[in-house]
Amino acid sequence: MSELRLDGLEARDGAEQWDGPSPSKPSLSKPGCPSRAEGAQGAASRARGGPGALSRSDAAPRSLPRSEGVPAALFPSEAAPRAQVSPGAGRVSDSAALLEGDYPETVAEAEAAGGVGFGADDEGRISPESAPASGRGGVDPVKALMHRHRELCERAVDPLEIAAGLEAYGVTDRTAARFRHRDVFSLAEEMYARVPRDAETPPERRPPPPAASGPGGGWAVLALLPGALCAAAVAGVRLTHGQPRLAVAAAGALAVALGLRVALRCGPLRAPLGTTSRNGTWTCWLIAYALLGDGLLAAGLAAGPEGPWPLATTPVLALALSCAPALWCAHLLSVRARRKLVASRGLADFADSVKPLLLGVFALYLCALVSLLAVCGKVLDEPAVSAGAVALGALLLLARLLTVHGFPHAPAVVLCTAALTETCALATVFASRLPGCSYLAVPVRTVTDAWGPGAVTALVCGIAALLLLGHATRTLTRASAHARPPGAT
Amino acid sequence: MHVRIGLLTEGGYPYVSGDARLWCDRLVRGLERHVFDVYALSRSEQQEDEGWVPLPPQISRVRTAPLWTAEDDGVVHGRRARRRFAEAYGELASVICSAGTHGARGTREAFGRGEAVGTGEALETGEARESGPILEADRFGNALYGLAELARDEGGLVGALRSEAAVHTLERACRAPGVLGAAREARVPDLLAVAAHLERALRPLSLDWYEDDGLGSVDLCHATAGGSAALPGLLAAHFHEVPLLVTEYGVPLRAHYLGASGDAPVRALLAAFHRQLTAEVYRRAACLTPGNSHARRWQERCGADRARIRTVYPGMEAARFAEVGEAPESADPHTLVWVGRVEPAKDLILLLHAFAEIRRAEPKARLRIVGAAAGDEGAAYLGHCRALAAQLFPDEADRVHTVGDNPVSFEEIGDPAVPDLAEAYASGAVVVLSSVVEGFPISLVEAMFCGRPTVSTDAGAVVEVIGGTGLVVPPRNPRALAEACVALLRAPERRARLGAAARARALELFTVEQNVAAFRGIYLEVVSHAPVRKAVLDETGALLPFGALAEAPVPGRWTEPRLGTGGLGVAGVAGVAGVAGGAGLGGAVSGRPRWAVDTPVRATGTPPAATGEPVPAGEGAR
Repeated sequence: MSELRLDGLEARDGAEQWDGPSPSKPSLSKPGCPSRAEGAQGAASRARGGPGALSRSDAAPRSLPRSEGVPAALFPSEAAPRAQVSPGAGRVSDSAALLEGDYPETVAEAEAAGGVGFGADDEGRISPESAPASGRGGVDPVKALMHRHRELCERAVDPLEIAAGLEAYGVTDRTAARFRHRDVFSLAEEMYARVPRDAETPPERRPPPPAASGPGGGWAVLALLPGALCAAAVAGVRLTHGQPRLAVAAAGALAVALGLRVALRCGPLRAPLGTTSRNGTWTCWLIAYALLGDGLLAAGLAAGPEGPWPLATTPVLALALSCAPALWCAHLLSVRARRKLVASRGLADFADSVKPLLLGVFALYLCALVSLLAVCGKVLDEPAVSAGAVALGALLLLARLLTVHGFPHAPAVVLCTAALTETCALATVFASRLPGCSYLAVPVRTVTDAWGPGAVTALVCGIAALLLLGHATRTLTRASAHARPPGAT
Repeated sequence: MHVRIGLLTEGGYPYVSGDARLWCDRLVRGLERHVFDVYALSRSEQQEDEGWVPLPPQISRVRTAPLWTAEDDGVVHGRRARRRFAEAYGELASVICSAGTHGARGTREAFGRGEAVGTGEALETGEARESGPILEADRFGNALYGLAELARDEGGLVGALRSEAAVHTLERACRAPGVLGAAREARVPDLLAVAAHLERALRPLSLDWYEDDGLGSVDLCHATAGGSAALPGLLAAHFHEVPLLVTEYGVPLRAHYLGASGDAPVRALLAAFHRQLTAEVYRRAACLTPGNSHARRWQERCGADRARIRTVYPGMEAARFAEVGEAPESADPHTLVWVGRVEPAKDLILLLHAFAEIRRAEPKARLRIVGAAAGDEGAAYLGHCRALAAQLFPDEADRVHTVGDNPVSFEEIGDPAVPDLAEAYASGAVVVLSSVVEGFPISLVEAMFCGRPTVSTDAGAVVEVIGGTGLVVPPRNPRALAEACVALLRAPERRARLGAAARARALELFTVEQNVAAFRGIYLEVVSHAPVRKAVLDETGALLPFGALAEAPVPGRWTEPRLGTGGLGVAGVAGVAGVAGGAGLGGAVSGRPRWAVDTPVRATGTPPAATGEPVPAGEGAR
């Protein structure tokens, strides 16, 4: 293997030979395979910069058919002859001279002109005589190719992927011929078959993308907006009297509604595009009822109302303030659920692990709401925690979560039913004043007598929330509900 | 003979920013005696907003549908439809999960209720091994058409494909015995990704194009690309036995492989799906016309029948290069020209390094790089190339007092020095192409039209385009490129010879006329091979002789040829906005004898039970 030592000589000494086309062209016009083999060898030797003009007939052993996947060690004797090829073999060819000639010949010539081929660089050679650094013209060119495209081979899911990758790298059928293959496809098949695949070890996975920790996009600040607006509105209402008070109340309600819209639009409770949510009206209706309804109901039952009845500002203020915990809870749910999604192996597995998460998040929100209610009640000096407000908060959160995760149907129905039921309750109370219709108020009166004036809200919203909770434990534990980040199309 | 052609495009023709719109436009304008119905899938909202190119009158209607979004039509399937969906989707999933494993395990258990779609659970092991790929393709096709029929009968496929049931079906298919190793490893996120991708890929199934007055009324579907564009054609072939012609200038399957990302299970399953879909398209197509032999090789590899493949080279306008092509002596004998879109695949770095070698041999040589950067990546690459050029070649001047200049110049079409493309080619003695990856090398063909000799790297379709009329060197070999260029720069006679040969070859093979003529012939051939499939039944189910005249699908043309272009064709174009179904149907009916007008019913050879409902041809056959 003395030729291999010539590696030290730089390939530069080929430079003089560019000055003109090589006169050796006629010797190249052998058709078909031998000519190709020469091209490869010319390439190999030129890359090595070998000055020697050794006999080209040494190329003969190279053109033996090679079966696929033969161990490299079967061809130790080839290494030497292949190293001894004239560098003059590969020179620029003029296809014009071959205009009457056929196509493969042109190709062969082009390749002979080519010089460095893919097989010429061999880093993965086995031959014991060779120093690793001198890896040129290896025994097993396909192995070298595989080494070069290691990542492609390991990543490939079928031979066609390797073929596509090789082509993208510039390997053509002419190149494949150098590896004794008919085309890139069969070369790729050999490469695919030779990639060591351990059936036991699963393919390595990309680490899951880091979960978006903490709020992005400033929604955390916006989450405080409805609460702040509502607090301002309540303060305004409390500090004013008469006509301005009405104006302040109306402006405050409008501001809170807009603030809520903004907060929901850009946070984790963003509804997916394309789902037209009709829940806004019913939500406003339910909140308005929480503000006005109980007082009106009580007054109606007591043959009123005479003048303005008391407003229940505590539940509304607490609900507005609870926007922030609601958004945090939704964020927590989506982040944790996606983490579990990555970790779980099967759909049932995922459902089992998400159910406690969902219930935990829900409970967390309820705790936050109850404490907000207590604080607000203390500050506003009104009756503290009411079951109706808690149930309403739970209902609204669940409805929003379901809508956000792509199940808008059930929340729409439930919210609509709840709002209509409350309206009916109110309507029956006043309708019962008509002559002969007093029986209409009996159900409401029974309920309020038993549990107090807030019982209607608590009962209606509580039942609705329970229904939605049942629905959510079935639907929000599905993997498809968490497939897309909330808000994506 | 007039033929009504359904032109199927995806992100293509009528849109201003569509792929291959020039080719389609020339084709449609070149075949003005035929009638075209364009069925276009749009690729993005932006594309839709940019509008259409002006349409010639032979386009009688355009129907569009978005591929980038799907409205859930809100249809909730009943129990029966859900079961049909689960069967068909399960079959699809089981085919793509087990693709390629046949033979290794013998019989694959047909997943779920596979017998409904005709897989043989009773097949013996050996038989399954023999007929593995064919059986697999059959199962895939049946599952696909099962989903399409469901979408046609019940609607609501989008919701079903997004549902948990779909993910669940996929999971069961992945856990079934005998599936791909990668599929067995699939986790929940992988399943979700695959389901989402399948939903996107199967969106054409939910379209309302497959009615009798839609794709059922055309004589021939011409898909301008494989993949999604050909899917409506497949369904038209299934429902109405319309022959399908598929033209592929690129290979969508290959593009899918190169663009695939994600974990191994996702890539494996999606690759299997696209492979099966491609194979089904190739299997069902009446004719395939790849744009070059590279595409042809992929088609053959994916199971296309050689007898049905005809390579049709894309055509390019030769007229604008005629002046340059006939005056080869206008070139500066020391200038090399590179023309194209600047992007990393073009390997300009290689060209610059080669040019450094060329300069050493030929100090007077100059290099003009003409082209704009494509995208952000291209812009970055162009900047990199400029920096490298400045580094390799310092500015130089003839004398002490003149202002220096760089031997390498970067220009764009429209600069004062290069007013148009022909000028760019005209300025050079040799045109160079240094790409690592290349599809159909347009700049090479243009150079050939200009009668310029070329030196190019052996990539893509370069060798078959160039034939013997230029020099070809291996890619990534600057020295070989430099040698070839120097050889040509030093031999003016050889340049002239090569240039003349190149121009002659290009004029014969790559003109618009040859392209259009080839398609004219192929259309007529395909249509003449298609069976007579339209027969009109009266309401009792009896066959109406001559109910559908051969000319009937071409309204307003055969009776009054003078008014042809001004008749319904124009009206159709005017009223095409998305759903121009009515005009076409009215035209079809008006072209039929009066006594045959009442609710036409299509026959499928044997008259079906006299229900009076349209019976899709495919169902009867199955």
